[in-house]
Amino acid sequence: MTFAEAEAGVGTASAVPTPVLAARTRGLRKLYRNTVAVDHVDLDVPEGAVLGMLGPNGSGKTTTIRMMLGLTTPTAGEVELFGARLPEAAQAVLPQVGALVEGPGFHPFLSGRENLLRCAAAEPLLRSSAIAKAVDEALERVGLSGAASRRYRGYSLGMKQRMGLAAALLVPRRFVVLDEPTNGLDPAGTREVRTVIADLHAAGTTVLVSSHLLSEVEATCTHVAVLHQGTVVAQGELRDMLEASNAGLLVSTPEITAAVDALRDNRIPARPMPDGLLVDLTSTTAPEVVATLVRADIPVHEVHKQRTGLEDLFAQLTETS
Amino acid sequence: MTAQVMPGPVRAPIGRLLRSELRWIYRRPRTLILLGLLALYPILFGIGTQLVDAPVRANGDQSIVAAVAGNALMLPVIVLSTTMIFFLPLGTTMTASDALAGEASHGTLRGLLLAPVSRVRLLAIKAFGVAVVSAAAALMTSLIAFVTGLVIAGPGSLVSISGTTLPVGEGLWRVLLATGWVIVQMWAVGAIALAVSASTEHPLLVLASVIGGLFVFGLLSTIPVLDWMHPFLITESWDSIVDVLRDPILSENLVTGLLRAVCYIVIGYSLALARMITKDS
Repeated sequence: MTFAEAEAGVGTASAVPTPVLAARTRGLRKLYRNTVAVDHVDLDVPEGAVLGMLGPNGSGKTTTIRMMLGLTTPTAGEVELFGARLPEAAQAVLPQVGALVEGPGFHPFLSGRENLLRCAAAEPLLRSSAIAKAVDEALERVGLSGAASRRYRGYSLGMKQRMGLAAALLVPRRFVVLDEPTNGLDPAGTREVRTVIADLHAAGTTVLVSSHLLSEVEATCTHVAVLHQGTVVAQGELRDMLEASNAGLLVSTPEITAAVDALRDNRIPARPMPDGLLVDLTSTTAPEVVATLVRADIPVHEVHKQRTGLEDLFAQLTETS
Repeated sequence: MTAQVMPGPVRAPIGRLLRSELRWIYRRPRTLILLGLLALYPILFGIGTQLVDAPVRANGDQSIVAAVAGNALMLPVIVLSTTMIFFLPLGTTMTASDALAGEASHGTLRGLLLAPVSRVRLLAIKAFGVAVVSAAAALMTSLIAFVTGLVIAGPGSLVSISGTTLPVGEGLWRVLLATGWVIVQMWAVGAIALAVSASTEHPLLVLASVIGGLFVFGLLSTIPVLDWMHPFLITESWDSIVDVLRDPILSENLVTGLLRAVCYIVIGYSLALARMITKDS
């Protein structure tokens, strides 16, 4: 495909509301000698999404990310970034991708600023005259301006992690990949990473965050993909997945027994709870439940969906085998 | 978000990458220490031979050591021939080991590949860095030796081993010729070292295997039974450097040595390229 064709295609593509994918993998597989690290990974990262890649240690998160960025050659399968195949399109696509993979990597004998200057020299989208400013801004953004002229050797774990983040953010990106970005960070640092992700999301950047911390993903992501033993066991919008994962409605009412009876008469399963009842929503909907209760003259104080959270979902998805 | 048109392949300017690579190499403390030692060596060698010579000269004679090393033609070549068997290969291999294996072990190679710098380009940048360091080290050492020789023995002392005295210009030209020849030999060592460096994440492994390999080559070349193997050993022609001191220059072994080094360079970079392209980093 020539770029003229790609350009001509933009007009028609924007007319049809098909979701653009920032990243797409199909049948991704990686064998290390005789060990299958990753298999059948079909991952979709919609443009503009913040996708949390969730999985226990050793579930293939990092291997998948490395293949998505062309660092590791897949044994089988294909990777596309913004519709362009890797590794062929690497030179066109990767300049717009920022990544922190497998922890920060810098030279201990250079200062933070010198390390970033070296990274910046290799960035195709940075003009030589803009390098110094880009480095200072990136340092400022991750709160390292004060330590910029100190040697990287003396940085704390959290500062090193911030340096990794700064390198990923040297250039305005279309897609940012962060592998375990909050490793080694204190609570304040964790909050800052969340802010950075939220800022990127607000600016329209697609973000992929891998984590084994569920709360992290729940707090920052719009989409989730769960990896387990090298395969994707679930993926989709966070909201949908949370809804699908539990089907309980908590109704608080003083007349518990009457309420349970009224619902059972209408074949809606429910069970008493300390100050109300829990209604199973697998065969019905929330408005239906409320209407049934009101029709039976049951006083309803409050109705809300029970949120089991990602914790349960994660447990369901990864602890079955 | 507005639809963005995918730009064509974009690359960082090569000059900027090469400058950045050199800055990185020359900021590294161990590079500076090694260069410092190489700069001191010819001076100490020159002064040392004069000290040895002093008691002999008091009797109106001249010792063999001073005759060999005390002039601006001999000193640089002797210094080169002694550094090329250890210090120069050490510096070259050290730079090559840091270039790929060292960067991989620090996790910085990933960063460069992600920027992205294509793998072929990255190898070219690394080869450039190693070549510049080894050339600069050899040139610096021989020029300091030349100047030291001139200071100690004066400009009229450039005696060849064939007994003729050469003018300073001719002497300098010979020294530069010897230096160029040594540089090509070091590029051969660097090519092999980069190939090993592309295959591992452990810089020490590169250092041990290449320096160890040169040592083993040196041993093998002294075993007569293995003389069929000798033409394949890079170290085989390293003694011929003294041929530039003859008048006229005895070129046969020097040319053979040059061709042998070029073969090593071709093989080394072929292996390095093959490894680099398929490498998981």
